[in-house]
Amino acid sequence: MNQLVLLAPEIFLSVCALGILLGEAFFPNKSKQWFLFGLVALGLAGLHQGAFFFSHAIPGASFFGIQPTLLNEGWVQYAPVFGMVAVDSLALFFKFITVVGVVMVLWLSMDYPEFKERPMGTYVSLLLLATVGMLFLVGSVDLLLAVIALELLSISSFILSGFVIERKSSIEGAIKLFLVGTFSTGILLFGISYFYGYFGSTSMDALFAYSSSGQTADLGLSVVLVFIIAGLGFKLAMVPFHMWAPDTYEGAPTPVAAFLSVAPKAAALGFLIRLLANHVSLGITPILALLAALTMTVGNLGALKQNNIKRMLAYSSIAQVGYILVAIVAGGSLGTQAAMVYMFVYLFMNLGLFSGLLILSNQNGSDDLSTFAGLASRSMGFALGLVILALSMIGIPPLGGFVGKFAIFSAVIGNSHLLWLGVVTAINSVISFYYYFKIVQQMFFREPVHTARVQLSPALMSCLVLALGITLVAGLLPNQLLGWVRNILGS
Amino acid sequence: MAVNLPLLSLLTFLPLIGGLIIMFSDKENRAFHKNIATAFALFTFVLSLGLLTKFDASTHLPQFVERYQWISSFNIDYYMAVDGLSFPLVLLTTFLSLISVVASFGIEKRTKEYFFWFMMLETGMLGLFVALDFFLFYVFWEITLVPMYFLIGVWGGPKREYAAVKFFLFTLFGSVFMLLSMIALYFASGSGLPGNERTLDLIRLSELAHNGQLQLVGTAAMLVFLGLYLAFAIKVPAFPFHTWLPLAHVEAPTAVSVILAGVLLKMGTYGILRVCYPIMPEQTKLFLPILVVIACINIVYGAFCAMAQKDMKRMVAYSSVNHMGYCLLGMAAVMGNSNAAHAGLSGAVLQMVTHGIITGSLFLLVGVIYDRAHTREIDAFGGLATKMPIFAGFMIMQCMASLGLPGLAGFISEFLCFLGGFGGSFGGFNFKIWVSISVIGIVVTAAFFLRMLKLVLMGEFNAKWEGHMPDLTTRELVTIVPLAVFTLVLGIYPALVLRLMDTTLAQLIKLVAG
Repeated sequence: MNQLVLLAPEIFLSVCALGILLGEAFFPNKSKQWFLFGLVALGLAGLHQGAFFFSHAIPGASFFGIQPTLLNEGWVQYAPVFGMVAVDSLALFFKFITVVGVVMVLWLSMDYPEFKERPMGTYVSLLLLATVGMLFLVGSVDLLLAVIALELLSISSFILSGFVIERKSSIEGAIKLFLVGTFSTGILLFGISYFYGYFGSTSMDALFAYSSSGQTADLGLSVVLVFIIAGLGFKLAMVPFHMWAPDTYEGAPTPVAAFLSVAPKAAALGFLIRLLANHVSLGITPILALLAALTMTVGNLGALKQNNIKRMLAYSSIAQVGYILVAIVAGGSLGTQAAMVYMFVYLFMNLGLFSGLLILSNQNGSDDLSTFAGLASRSMGFALGLVILALSMIGIPPLGGFVGKFAIFSAVIGNSHLLWLGVVTAINSVISFYYYFKIVQQMFFREPVHTARVQLSPALMSCLVLALGITLVAGLLPNQLLGWVRNILGS
Repeated sequence: MAVNLPLLSLLTFLPLIGGLIIMFSDKENRAFHKNIATAFALFTFVLSLGLLTKFDASTHLPQFVERYQWISSFNIDYYMAVDGLSFPLVLLTTFLSLISVVASFGIEKRTKEYFFWFMMLETGMLGLFVALDFFLFYVFWEITLVPMYFLIGVWGGPKREYAAVKFFLFTLFGSVFMLLSMIALYFASGSGLPGNERTLDLIRLSELAHNGQLQLVGTAAMLVFLGLYLAFAIKVPAFPFHTWLPLAHVEAPTAVSVILAGVLLKMGTYGILRVCYPIMPEQTKLFLPILVVIACINIVYGAFCAMAQKDMKRMVAYSSVNHMGYCLLGMAAVMGNSNAAHAGLSGAVLQMVTHGIITGSLFLLVGVIYDRAHTREIDAFGGLATKMPIFAGFMIMQCMASLGLPGLAGFISEFLCFLGGFGGSFGGFNFKIWVSISVIGIVVTAAFFLRMLKLVLMGEFNAKWEGHMPDLTTRELVTIVPLAVFTLVLGIYPALVLRLMDTTLAQLIKLVAG
């Protein structure tokens, strides 16, 4: 039973979420307090994860009397709880990223004007429930648990994206997400049922045993895996399952769009890394490589013609997931490290851009590109901060995004023979310059449309500054980040 | 050296410190921005002169070395040093940056940002020339892009935004391939096991290549070479990647054009000499015949393009395409007999310096006319020599230098490039034919410069400009005279620069041909 300690954050967050829901029935209109409560809860969960992390760093340390074991690949692993939830380095890292992301999203939701009339307790508790779903998803070693975790995440996301019921577009986006989401769950379950047919179990261990037994890859199994990947692909907005993303992001309240662009992606990618650890011997590498290439390219090309920042960021996040998929395709410890490094940096730079957008759109009530017009002449420091984030997104040194890309290229070139994929990634970086710099052009080359002083709300500014700090530090002194990720994987 | 100050880091980041001071100052305080920028550009220049007195030209080994561990997981060091190949370019950079800052005093729009980006650009350029770790080299290579984008895009001419985007896209397209090649070199440099660490240290990589320890052969090696070459060729700009250059030049403000032609283009040729030649000698040799042909096209085609221009600045821009062709021609001589190789490479590096000085001054002179008349049409003028004698004198002198009149700097470097090119050979490929064709370029160059001089300075004065054409002001003289003086000095005594690089180039030739 002391295994439950390992699941403390999930249990604790569930209790908090339900508590907030109940509490709101008795104390309505206390939105600030609910926010704080949510933040504290997430903070505690994050602390718990952190404690795990650091107990890894100390050889022979134990956590509440539970001894970690070292696996042959050097991963630290606590025995899976109930045989279903792995608590290992990989899971902890992505859980940590997820929690940090959600904390930042809560910050971003503070001053959002459309939330003024809405029950914020519900909002916070839905975010916490979504977080619980993500935490379980990352650790799942059993596909059925993964489905349940995904559903918890998805259903919370539907409601969150339709949270502003006064706006038609918000409802529209939510319905699109809902339809696509249920459809994708169906596909996923279909794949899992065949998986069960193959192995007589829904546990990933069966798959690992098969792939390490040295048998030749079986076409039927490849098809099954493709179904499972497709089901997850919808959540990740992987091309060709991405159609919902721009509409949903555009309609959703901006903080929710920010949430959708990072946290679920981190969780689903963490799960994918685990599931596809041996994709080479399973014979699905070509399909994965193709999906990664398509995801980057379609995402970047789609972003080119967008004039609504939220739609642009939706396509941009599709493309960025594509880069991380490249790292997963490259595989091996280099690939896994690259995926982790890039995800870490991406979380911060993307949320930084969202906070920049929110600072302006909260004031002007518009998500259009012209919101940024002439920003350089109104608030130079703010504009430069956004330039740095945009450059990092493109992958220009010496910034975090570049270090991430460097890691990804290294994995592709050093670890696999997919040179073409490296070239496609490189060309995609060039394409992405064009639309990220549309924002920069607006800020520096255009006359201001709005002339009022920019109101820099402290909550949003702190997010932006944090994102900038991480982007710069990860770029200038990448040793810490790279070493950290390497230690986590123990290789 | 007795004192172990991080001199090169100081040199590199001094301008950036100035830029940051400017950034945190009041937006309206224009004089302050200009003064700070000038002061820091001057400090940097003086510091580089100070390094010159300490520089030892008798060795090819890197000097003023600074080396700190930076990214140990990839075995990347913060490694800065100069040798005979980079040091002349460092001097050129500090010198031209100072001149350009003074030439920018006319800027009235958003001076704070302008000088900030300008100083950042100088840091990027200097860093590139002193970095000896490929990773660091790449970082600085990319850092130069951003300020240039803004300098063209905010302070440029009517089509500035398009020009800025085109410049950025072209260069970035090249640099991502450089990145891929760089990583391939990294993995080829060792097994990653202790005692056989992978590295991105350019000097170490060239040693490995020289000893045949670089695990890169056949098609893969050629692809890596082409990735590197693409990035550098776009910057040079070598045909057919030159299309961004005229546009960027025409739109850029005068001082930025000076830097663009004077220093940024040299990053390309420097990169080829610093990275491709010593690290991938086998592939370089195979590529030499193509390089000669490209050089020839650059020279002839660039000259004819310049001939066709009606706009003075476009003409000078295309003349840069032609002049960088001489550079490539000199570089292609590396496999000739030892004299030819040495002449060719010396010519190429000297051409980088002289072209920076001469073309920089030509852009300044064209800027002088543009400031007064707000047009650069060659046909719109005539008889300017009567109104602006001093200007006319400098204009004639620098055009003559550019077309290779003996006694001025351009002649020496072009002569050396041709000399080397003519003696160059590789695997039975006939260099002489292509070099002979290139001579057409010299003739055409002379033709278009003389035609321009005739139409602008001679003949009837166009009454339209009556009263608009005062002669050079003090500030303009301050920027143009030093360049003209150097043009003359290097024309008479090129050894000033040549002696700096002899040993290093001899070593480079040994690495390639060895």
